[in-house]
Amino acid sequence: MNHTLSSPENASAVGAPAVGAARPDVAASEPRRRAAARVRLPSALSFRNIGAVYVWLAIAVIFAVWAPATFPTWTTARQIMNENAATGLMALSVVIPLCTRTFDLSVGFVASLSAVTASYLIAHGVPVAAAVAIAMGGALLVGLINAGVVVVMGVDSFIATLATGSLIQAFITMMTNDIAITSPALNGPFAKIGQARIGGITLPVIYTLVVGLVIWFVLEHTATGRRLYATGFNPESARLAGVKTARLRFASLIVSALLAGAAGVVLASTLGSGDPQAGVPYLLLAYAAAFLGASQLRPGRFNAWGTLIAVLLLGTGVVGLGLVSAPNWAPSMFTGVVLIAALGITGAKRRALRRGRRARREAPASPPQT
Amino acid sequence: MTGSGTVGRAALELDSVSRDGGVEVSPALLKIEGLSKTFGGTRALIDVGLDMREHEIHALVGQNGSGKSTLIKALAGYHHPDPGARAWFAGEPFELGSGLQHGHDRLRFVHQDLGHVLELGVMDNLALRHAYVRGRFGNIRWAEQERTARELLGRFGVDIDLHRPLAEATPVERVVVAIVAALQGWDGGGGVLVLDEPTAVLPPHEVAQLFELIGEVRRAGASVLYVSHRIDEIFQLADRVTVLRGGHVVATRAVADLTPRELASLMVGEEVDPDFRAEVPAAVGAPALLEARDLRARYLNGVSFTLHQGEVLGVAGLAGSGSEQLPYVIAGALGREASGRLRLPGRGGQWTDIGPNGLTGLALVPADRSREGVVAEFSVAENLTLPILDRLRRGVAHSKSRETALVRDWVQRLQIRTASQDAPISTLSGGSQQKVVMARCLALEPSVLLLCEPTAGVDIATRIALYELIARQAERGLGVIVSSTDIGDLLAMCTRILVLRDGVVARELDGNQVTQAILHHAIEGTDDE
Repeated sequence: MNHTLSSPENASAVGAPAVGAARPDVAASEPRRRAAARVRLPSALSFRNIGAVYVWLAIAVIFAVWAPATFPTWTTARQIMNENAATGLMALSVVIPLCTRTFDLSVGFVASLSAVTASYLIAHGVPVAAAVAIAMGGALLVGLINAGVVVVMGVDSFIATLATGSLIQAFITMMTNDIAITSPALNGPFAKIGQARIGGITLPVIYTLVVGLVIWFVLEHTATGRRLYATGFNPESARLAGVKTARLRFASLIVSALLAGAAGVVLASTLGSGDPQAGVPYLLLAYAAAFLGASQLRPGRFNAWGTLIAVLLLGTGVVGLGLVSAPNWAPSMFTGVVLIAALGITGAKRRALRRGRRARREAPASPPQT
Repeated sequence: MTGSGTVGRAALELDSVSRDGGVEVSPALLKIEGLSKTFGGTRALIDVGLDMREHEIHALVGQNGSGKSTLIKALAGYHHPDPGARAWFAGEPFELGSGLQHGHDRLRFVHQDLGHVLELGVMDNLALRHAYVRGRFGNIRWAEQERTARELLGRFGVDIDLHRPLAEATPVERVVVAIVAALQGWDGGGGVLVLDEPTAVLPPHEVAQLFELIGEVRRAGASVLYVSHRIDEIFQLADRVTVLRGGHVVATRAVADLTPRELASLMVGEEVDPDFRAEVPAAVGAPALLEARDLRARYLNGVSFTLHQGEVLGVAGLAGSGSEQLPYVIAGALGREASGRLRLPGRGGQWTDIGPNGLTGLALVPADRSREGVVAEFSVAENLTLPILDRLRRGVAHSKSRETALVRDWVQRLQIRTASQDAPISTLSGGSQQKVVMARCLALEPSVLLLCEPTAGVDIATRIALYELIARQAERGLGVIVSSTDIGDLLAMCTRILVLRDGVVARELDGNQVTQAILHHAIEGTDDE
């Protein structure tokens, strides 16, 4: 019985492994390797990797054709950079917490707070350095409170920082009665922080680039960066692998508050006044840029250069629309359309890629299988 | 063939004899021929045939990547097979992969992830899968809905709170609910229930409950296609088994005609011993490496033990006995929820308190690979070096070149199969991912290694490779603590086993007491002592 039942299978059981199992292995790995090479070679410049740059170039070309006299000029380029430096700083401020999957929605309010604080002190005769230091001290304090509520008390960061933001706005209104602080003293040395130029480029552009450089270095080239990403991707795995996840999240909220505070000082200096609402409009732009940035360069990871590319992309469009005297609703519409288009395209590309990968994973005997 | 003959099986054997003798007794309930599936240039399934009979429990086995899941997905209609595949249900031809993500209505599936919404209760999970009972305004008629759910569960003898969120249910309850959910709207009569590795996450004593339900399903008139790579289960449960390897069907046999060893060899393609024992010498007289005193946590009520150099110490017990918690407590991973004292005689030797100090720095391979082990978004290299990043510094910067060299070394040493070290870890098989987690722990050069469920979701060949790896490390003096619900792990590696019950050490087995029977009784509490 045993014999009749199993002889055909026995034959294949003995014969198959040599022929059947070995061959797909070879056949599978070859096209796979070729496919990998095909993708890798131009990947640094691929649409999937830096799609936003291509969209940005397209926008630049459109405006150059639309407004050939005004748009493709050095003045416009400078204007784009100078007008978006503060946005860039704000956007960079949320990158580090986002790496750890922590939202800091108080950054807009922190910027307002430091703008108002610095202006108030300078208007009342406090030396510029001291005033800026105190404003930054205020931002640091907010950072500590945020970190305490989110990390120590364990409140969801989205709600917690929305709450602290609301508290900050209450405090600002209490102090200023919602009237912008203006004073001739603000046009003195304090104005230099935001308005001094080097070769037509204002200092805030330089600050933003320096901060971008530092964040890029930390995220890409230090152990801390790796740990920040690990904390965001899988906090439990990271913790069990010895990553001090709570400490990193705590620190990330301090960093975001300090950078937002710096952005507030820059805003006050640029505008020459302490606007109680100065930082608020930047909040959504900052998040938009950070998320668009996370689809660039290192897809899936919040990163500095991707974020700045996104700021530039959005800023170019807004400045360009101003130059062609588009109606006042155009900039908001442009921002919305570009965000959906850019995120949709990169997202769709990535999904397609994942599908391909999954299909390959299900295949037998391909190299990554054991 | 050891004690697996049941009445049902005997009958089926007779059936298979007469069938193979050339007389077609009962036409196949489900029959598939010439099923191939190609992804890109890779052939996942090559001319696969399968036939299932009525009232049969048919096992489908194979290593990771053998094509099991592709076959299941082709049956379920997720994959469209290559042209040429033919399928019949009860003699009626039907088309595979057709019908917009739905297979044949008579084929019902429980996939490995179960597909529950854990925040919702049993009733909602059942209804979401099938349909809510609605009133005239589209409102849900809750009372009737509840009655329907109760009836459905009652048919399979399942008694479970309908409203408690599934997150609070035991693993086996979740599996049971998934099975019942899959069988909704099925009115008895011929049908095939496909179960994809339902026991992958079940502790052993709960497996019996599941098997009872599978028996119920068979009695209700269905056949079961049971996918697994746990060999012992096949012999407990199945009538026949189909073995896949490299996309080919290498055998379809009556289970009664096979030994576990033969089945393992069919799966792997070479001689494999499912009862493999790594040669770890008993650590008699070796110096103590780790002393633990009075370990306490939610499930631990004061456990003390000493681990010696070169020893592989097993920790066994039912769910809730504390065995699964012990390695976490020693690693300091539970924080203030745990207490106790540890001493490492080789490293200073002073007693330290567990709990307030956080991680103790002992290398831990966690139980749940995807949730606690790997970072899915990271590459192989990034996962491997996560705990040892500080050693790869050059100044303040992380040295990519040192990382590459270190990872290359470990990939080679543990023979981790990956396209490249920059490949996302999610492209690796479960066994390879486990090797990465293991490599990460060994790279810490620990004196003590803590392993939880080291072979969960790992196929048999890789499993044996892991046993051998751990044995080699123990030979070099590493002390290993293994907590596993898979008795095979403990038998394969351990020279001494602590059996926990109710949070205390109920028995300590060593020497020739380390056998399946003694260990099994000790775990269940049915031993004489």
